[in-house]
Amino acid sequence: MQIRLTVNGEERVVETTATTRLLDLLRTDLKLTGTKEGCGKGECGACTVLLNGQLVASCLLLAPQADRAEIITIEGIGSAEGLDPIQESYLEAGAVQCGFCTPGMILASKKLLEENPRPTVEEIRRGLSGNLCRCTGYHKIIAAVRLSAQKMADKGEGKDE
Amino acid sequence: MKRKLAGKQGNRPLISGRDSNGYFLPESLAEAVNLLGQAGEGLKVLAGGTDLLVDLYERLIEVEGWLDLGLIPELREIKVRAEQIEIGAMVTHAQLEKSENIKKTLPVLAAAAAEIGSPQIRNRGTIGGNVVTASPAGDLLAPLIAYNAVLELVGKDGVSRVPAGDFFCGPKQTIMKRGQLLSRVLIPRPSSGTIGCWIKIGKRKALVIASISLALVVRLAKGGVIADIRACFGAVAPTPLEIKAVRRLAGGKRLEQLDFSQVGELAAAGIAPIDDLRGTAAYRRNVARELLIQALEKVQSTGGEIIADQADC
Repeated sequence: MQIRLTVNGEERVVETTATTRLLDLLRTDLKLTGTKEGCGKGECGACTVLLNGQLVASCLLLAPQADRAEIITIEGIGSAEGLDPIQESYLEAGAVQCGFCTPGMILASKKLLEENPRPTVEEIRRGLSGNLCRCTGYHKIIAAVRLSAQKMADKGEGKDE
Repeated sequence: MKRKLAGKQGNRPLISGRDSNGYFLPESLAEAVNLLGQAGEGLKVLAGGTDLLVDLYERLIEVEGWLDLGLIPELREIKVRAEQIEIGAMVTHAQLEKSENIKKTLPVLAAAAAEIGSPQIRNRGTIGGNVVTASPAGDLLAPLIAYNAVLELVGKDGVSRVPAGDFFCGPKQTIMKRGQLLSRVLIPRPSSGTIGCWIKIGKRKALVIASISLALVVRLAKGGVIADIRACFGAVAPTPLEIKAVRRLAGGKRLEQLDFSQVGELAAAGIAPIDDLRGTAAYRRNVARELLIQALEKVQSTGGEIIADQADC
């Protein structure tokens, strides 16, 4: 079967099957390997993407369920030349160690900050509660999200002036 | 662009045999029932997929085709009527958690939905999936029984309605027959004076299957007399369970006339827990007793404010 979806702003038509997971479609068919497979059961968040603006685990979606959807993967956030403030903050806070959880963490952080630009630590924990990190102990990740919020607020204020 | 998957003509040839390409996207409930009626065991009804795709990953299920309910608009709706609240089977946990109407009228259900899984799971998982999967630990099940929900089942022989308390018959087993779909959950609108409490105990705060959970809903009549009280537990028996002895003991009394320890004992005695990796039976009996005491105290002290709590253990 053929499905049609928008991935990082680009329309894609993909020949796929009824049992292909969105995760595999992204990684294998579209070669977008920034999205990671961890547990394969929706428990770790490494495969997190945004589907029509909602945070989802791409291992728990079949490709046909994403037909006509808009998907944002980590490849759609920032660029090598111009990092997203969240990506910058993760680097500056030292919130990346092995990096496997980072794409999912950044997408979850992005969604959180879109909805809540000044989250409390508790709100950050809740926003990232679907994403596991086995390296950092989370403190630096939470610091990175707070730093992102600060940067985005500063930028916003700059714009107003 | 014609949708290849939808449309009746495209569907028919795929439905028989072992066609692994089968993926069906009905656009109405009638069409879904029709497709399901023609299909064999291998056609899986797909709601949010948060349980089913785990089973697929672990190769616990044989799939010959999918019946995806995602394109049936009426299944996504929450309707608040004068007498009842109607929740479509495809309403997600995130919808329940965020709906002002649900928070206002069915706060115990909203609180339970807010603690399911993770944001990723809540955005996809549905109330219908939670009910039909029928895990003894399904987080919405105890609240639904506590609110006297009625489940609407649709099949080729028509529509039937069954109280949530009569729907579950064992772990992952329900009275639903092959060919039936859950379409809506109907909940009598709680009268003013209805108060409640949701408590889930788990090893973590997110992405955790409840070790034990409690939904307590109390309807107070004038003068504070208990007109109805439903203490429903999850993960303490083969099915979600109401402790009916609580209703018998407490009905007609006022909260302050109750000996909460005595009510708690009814819970400890009334459940049928097992030892599993989330806790022993003995642990669950102790916790069931204490949770009910705690819930009654909270309901009494807050005069109705809903408490959604999760203890660290």
